[in-house]
Amino acid sequence: MFSILRDLLRFNVEFLVGFVLTALIFLFAAAHFFAPYPDTAIYLLPPDMPPSAEFWLGTTSRGQDVFWQMSAAIWNTMTFGLVVMILSRIVALAVGMLSGYLGGKADQALMTINDTLIALPNIPILLLVYFVMRDQMTWPLLAVTAALLGWNYDARLIRSVTLSLRNREFTRHAVFAGMSVPQVLVRQHLPYVMPVVFFTAMNNLIWAIGLEVTLSVLGFSDVNRPTVGGMIYWANQHQAAVSGIWWWLVFPIVAVVLLFLGLFLLAISINEYIDPRSRLSRMGG
Amino acid sequence: MQATLKPDVATSSAEPVLRVEDLKAYYQMNYFGVTREVRAVDDITLTIQRNEIYGIAGESSSGKSSLIKTIAGAIRPPLRVVAGSVRFDFGGRTLDVYDDPEAMRAARWRHLSYVMQGSMNVLNPVRRVKHAFHDFAVRHMGLSPSAFRARVEAHLEQIGLDPQVLEAYPHQLSGGMRQRLAIGLATVCEPEFIIADEPTTALDVLVQQDVLALIKDVQMRLGSSIIFVTHDMTVHAAIADRIGIIYAGRLVEEGPTQAMFERPQHPYTAHLIASLPRIGDTTRRQSLPGKPPNLADPPSGCRFHPRCPLAVAKCASESPPLLPRGEGRVACWRAGEVAAA
Repeated sequence: MFSILRDLLRFNVEFLVGFVLTALIFLFAAAHFFAPYPDTAIYLLPPDMPPSAEFWLGTTSRGQDVFWQMSAAIWNTMTFGLVVMILSRIVALAVGMLSGYLGGKADQALMTINDTLIALPNIPILLLVYFVMRDQMTWPLLAVTAALLGWNYDARLIRSVTLSLRNREFTRHAVFAGMSVPQVLVRQHLPYVMPVVFFTAMNNLIWAIGLEVTLSVLGFSDVNRPTVGGMIYWANQHQAAVSGIWWWLVFPIVAVVLLFLGLFLLAISINEYIDPRSRLSRMGG
Repeated sequence: MQATLKPDVATSSAEPVLRVEDLKAYYQMNYFGVTREVRAVDDITLTIQRNEIYGIAGESSSGKSSLIKTIAGAIRPPLRVVAGSVRFDFGGRTLDVYDDPEAMRAARWRHLSYVMQGSMNVLNPVRRVKHAFHDFAVRHMGLSPSAFRARVEAHLEQIGLDPQVLEAYPHQLSGGMRQRLAIGLATVCEPEFIIADEPTTALDVLVQQDVLALIKDVQMRLGSSIIFVTHDMTVHAAIADRIGIIYAGRLVEEGPTQAMFERPQHPYTAHLIASLPRIGDTTRRQSLPGKPPNLADPPSGCRFHPRCPLAVAKCASESPPLLPRGEGRVACWRAGEVAAA
């Protein structure tokens, strides 16, 4: 694992840039544990202060420090993304592997559900869930809802890998030797599928963060909990763009763009690394 | 070690280890309302004794692999058993493959193991070799992890492999080593019965000799029975005690290796043996006219009659039974007239 990381950092510029960007943003987000102000408190500081030595990124119209708000916001947004990613990977793995391995009726049933979810648009469903839940809508609930919408493309991908594994000799041998279906899937197929899962995980993380920002900007989440989208939502509520409080909008947007860029570079460079041919052409062995 | 591993095995038993009776297994497919039936295994009866290597020979698509998959109970639809029975006798305990799947599942690998076609690929490419041994064998042996490891290492040394290969990934090993490992995997539980489906086909001649010697050696040491499938008659000559010739899903001749090579009874066997190259013999080999029959629509009567040089009118209408003749059995109306032809 460590040598893979070292090779990637040495040979792959995209990975290096992505890794540094993501690491910096992660450190910045982790800094909110040392914040001098509680992250949900408002009207603590003089409002609308431009960036200065005292308030590095200025203050908001709600009397919050943009620097510490953003730190907490990115942490929360990343947590949301990671939770969605992990939950949806579990569903995608279970559905994809079972569907590919069992085949027949089970495959048909699971893939019908899968394709239905692919056909349905995500945002309207999330909005519907929000309007039904209203005040009970907390971020873990939103994460579960998003996870239940975010597994379907990857389940198909994993299914296609498992379909080919099902007819390999090692699978037939394992079945003959008396391994049960869960044992075959976990011990024989999971190691094979893991790189695919790893790559889709990065994509899913980016998708989940984008989804969270979208919903929060529209106000369809717990707006009192600082998130990147939530900051933009409050900035819009206070007409920050019109009244010249540009620092309230620009910094969160720049932060989320950098986070996207970092994760995207990580995803493409890991994808290139997983494919042995492109890896060898870059690293020469 | 032997005693703790096999408490239920009597050392000497006159019962044959495998009895196949009137076995019929067909591929039954239904496409758009049209049912097609491919008679891959058609009415096969054979027995295999303890400590015997039984070779099964036949051309491609003659049903060799279907037969042994059916014997192993490793069939999947569309292949189905239509009639007949397969019974193993593991130390006085009779197991019917298709009556008692649960007991069969427990017996597999422990009493009955399988070296599959393309067995070089039995090792999962993304896992270390030791995991394959663990997955396949540990539950059947009931040993502690360290005792199991020691046993696997001892077993690998016996088949001429360095125990360090356990830590390797399959792609780090040569084809011959992987083939040895496949055989090592199949024999680590010391099963009474080993099914080997073309275990040497993908290997070059030198490695093939090596692997054959290994199989023979393991078989001698364990006293197992082996059913050995290949289309390569030279391999049969080297290893088999008895040979069964399959043509178009049927057993057409069966007998001890020596006798079969010296005096083939069935015209098809005669052709197979005549096609073998001999050192110093430069005469051109005769090829059989025609091509293997379509098993979905086999010829009437004796299935070999359209290609048979000895065919008479009776051959086209009546199917010959498999009857004892000499030291073996043969299914031909004109058996024994081969030498004259």
